[in-house]
Amino acid sequence: MSSRTRIAALLIVAVAGFLGALAGSIHSARAAGPTLTIWVDQNRKDAVTQLANQWSAKNPGVTVTVVVKDFGSIRDNLGTVDASTAPDVILAAHDWTGQLAANGLVEPIYLSAAVKKQFPAYTLNAFSYGLAVKKLYGVPTQIENIGLVVNTSLVKVPKTFAQLEQEALAYKKKVHASFGIAVQQGSGYDAYHMYPFFSGLGGYVFGTNSAGNLDPSNIGVANKAFLKNSNLIDKWNKEGLINSALTYSTAQDAFLKKQAAFYITGPWATQVLEQSGIKFKIIQVPKIVDASVPFLGVQGAMVTKYADPHGVGGLAADFVSNYLTTPAAQLALALANGRYPANTVAGKQVHDPVLAQFGQAGAGGVPMPNIPQMASVWQDLGAAWFKATKGAGAQPAKSAFVTASRSIADKIG
Amino acid sequence: MSATTAPTAGAPADAPRAAPIPRLVSAFSGTVGVAVKLIALGLSNALAVWAIYVLITRQHWVALAVLAAATVLIDLVYLAPGQAFLPAKFLIPGTIFLIGFQVFPIIYTVNIAFTDYGTGHIGTKAAAVRQIETTSLEPPANGKTYTMAVARSASGTLTLLLSDDATHKLYAGTTQGLTPLPAGSVKASAGQITAAKGYTILHGLALFSLDQQLQSLVVPVGKGAGIRPQSTSTAVELEPTLRYDAKRGVFVRLADGAVFRDDGSGEFARGTEALEPGWKTGVGTRNFSRIIHDPLIRTPFLSVFAWTFIFAAGTVFLSFAIGLFLAVTLDKKGMRFLRTYRAILIIPWAVPGFLSLLAWQGLLDQFGVVNNKVIHPLFGTTVPWLADANVAKLSCILVSAWLTVPFFFIVSLGALQAIPEELTEAARVDGGGPFQIFRRVTLPLLLVAVGPLLISSFALNFNNFNNIYLLTAGGPPQANSAVAGATDILISYTYKLAIATGKGQDFALAASVTIIVFFITAIISTIGFARTRVLEEVL
Repeated sequence: MSSRTRIAALLIVAVAGFLGALAGSIHSARAAGPTLTIWVDQNRKDAVTQLANQWSAKNPGVTVTVVVKDFGSIRDNLGTVDASTAPDVILAAHDWTGQLAANGLVEPIYLSAAVKKQFPAYTLNAFSYGLAVKKLYGVPTQIENIGLVVNTSLVKVPKTFAQLEQEALAYKKKVHASFGIAVQQGSGYDAYHMYPFFSGLGGYVFGTNSAGNLDPSNIGVANKAFLKNSNLIDKWNKEGLINSALTYSTAQDAFLKKQAAFYITGPWATQVLEQSGIKFKIIQVPKIVDASVPFLGVQGAMVTKYADPHGVGGLAADFVSNYLTTPAAQLALALANGRYPANTVAGKQVHDPVLAQFGQAGAGGVPMPNIPQMASVWQDLGAAWFKATKGAGAQPAKSAFVTASRSIADKIG
Repeated sequence: MSATTAPTAGAPADAPRAAPIPRLVSAFSGTVGVAVKLIALGLSNALAVWAIYVLITRQHWVALAVLAAATVLIDLVYLAPGQAFLPAKFLIPGTIFLIGFQVFPIIYTVNIAFTDYGTGHIGTKAAAVRQIETTSLEPPANGKTYTMAVARSASGTLTLLLSDDATHKLYAGTTQGLTPLPAGSVKASAGQITAAKGYTILHGLALFSLDQQLQSLVVPVGKGAGIRPQSTSTAVELEPTLRYDAKRGVFVRLADGAVFRDDGSGEFARGTEALEPGWKTGVGTRNFSRIIHDPLIRTPFLSVFAWTFIFAAGTVFLSFAIGLFLAVTLDKKGMRFLRTYRAILIIPWAVPGFLSLLAWQGLLDQFGVVNNKVIHPLFGTTVPWLADANVAKLSCILVSAWLTVPFFFIVSLGALQAIPEELTEAARVDGGGPFQIFRRVTLPLLLVAVGPLLISSFALNFNNFNNIYLLTAGGPPQANSAVAGATDILISYTYKLAIATGKGQDFALAASVTIIVFFITAIISTIGFARTRVLEEVL
């Protein structure tokens, strides 16, 4: 290489270096005023963007950056994201609360009594977590739960579980189906959709300690009352009332193609149900031994630990606890993906009959446990249902749930 | 064919074509080559400068030093005159990828395996202390909330103008304490103070830029309690329930004086009671001893290991057998539609694997196409393809083989065509039947070429997370199992350990299982490669 080319080389390297530095300074020039970064899922991106713009119009000088994430990865990425690009506010599900708080990733929220009054106590409780003293880590925005969808042109709406069983089995016989109630499980298992049967037989996941907080050492998956009633599961399996082979899509198919007159699902199926032309009514699964209540899911917004070091702690708290709690914001967020708002004032403005019926089907429901140990429960509880309801060759329910309970206790350690 | 394999008189004219490396070198020595090189170097330097800038802002000093050294080294090697660093020029790109995609992840995994990284243990101790202090603040029994305006007094003191949400009484709060505001001196609308005599209320950027100052501002109201700003317009009265004693490095609970000490495994604990969050810390070989001693992990480990071996070996054997059979069948010159047959056989390879797997999951579903349209009409029953433990295992092997057959078909076809015809001809002259020729001549020669591929395919299937997870998710459950389902292989079992044990997630435990899996795979591959070398020596 001649000396001239070497000089040219050094020049090019220097210019490139300069350009690199320029790119670097552009990178830093972005954040002049305070910037609030929000992570949302695709469904609520537009609603959140609109709300955030209205909010920042009241706070001149504040820039809002809305970042779309896959809903599940909002939780998973919050612990690994680099602090400089981390969000200040996230949309979250209430059952993440324990994991995020135990990791120290989210900040406590303090609401005034007037605001608290607008929310059902369980929605605030769902976002509260603490070993000794519970603290509120999120503002609820919307609620959801599953219900029993009844095809009213094929069967009567059952008032008791015996009626449900009878109607479902009669219809099953009529259409030669291999199940009476279309409820999804499949090889991924589904303890969530099976919960009404679980609670109806006296099962619970975690009991509470003396302070009223969920206690991971008190596991009710195989409690005495439930085990006493568990022979009913064996009976349902034998007569084919439920069948573990059904998945999300085959359960839905069965109801839409009238292979089943009863279908257990949640508000995410609202559109499909309405478009199907089927006449239906949504109720809570009738009481078996205890009330067959579903799990309740609450979604909401949280302030992350990154907001303070980003210098937007006050703004993030203002957006979440003062702005997103207002009835108008609650209504916009909830309707963005067809759910019921958590705020009761906003709830009065929802007149959708399907959402209202789902709401009634959730009466007395149990919020999914929000302690991180719940991660060890889903798989085993779902597997117990799968094993006990797989038709021929099924394991007796009693031993399936005892195994699950022991396994959960082992995993939690 | 046999005539062309021997060197002929035409060979010298083709000689330069037969030597690609010198041609490559000469191509990069011309003016075009130098220009391409300089532009590539310039781009790499620009990227490095930008990355250095980012690393400085994030204070990652070790990474910064490594990056700077690597950049200087690269510039030096490629700009040095003459042939000084010729081998290095070819080795550097590969080395960078090796370090980035192999060495670094291995070091990272090993590093995690000796910590307690998992739910509750993800950050630093300092962050944990700060977070425990924050969450230990509690509203007192009759705790008040306030609507707040931030102002400066005439003397410039940062002051919170507070309106009690319950009583609507007005106060001015500073770090000195709380003083009531005379009602006449204040204008308020909807609880929010808009003007106060003697104070300048801060709005907009003037207010927002004080964020960190405000978040640490406490208006003392006695007995340790204080009013703290929460949002830009609200404040709340809180009192600490824990006190951090920095000198002793312990937390003291104020109510009963209980002391929480650093228990050496990343937590402040007192007996079984621990404060959250903890932090990430080294725990030595605790995870490994847990794998050995904890029946929850150890019991399924052996059965999962056995199934992993069967799955990988079964998949490789079946797909190689079918692929070879098809290759032998289609290795006929002059066969009609030969290209069409070959193209059809490669299709499973052309479709992205995860799509085929999801399609197979749907097909094999209890109420899927296979059962509904084929098995039930023909036999009047259904097969629990994915629901029964043994059938699901078979399904896993069949579907994985379906995905791997095209690979072995192509490889075998190429290897078959490379076997000189005179060898098989000689065997035929010696009186060998077609099966005997295949068994004694073709197959051994073929295995020399395909052997290493069989081993690498085995290693790949040994860790084939996608196939298992997308097809059965490890299910169906086993009668007495905890974590592992009937079709879980080591790597999917590890994943389940990572996301659903202990207090939620246990990445450290999963990392240590990964290391064990790595050694198992390495041992099997080493033995396998040694055996293929024996095969070569025989010939």
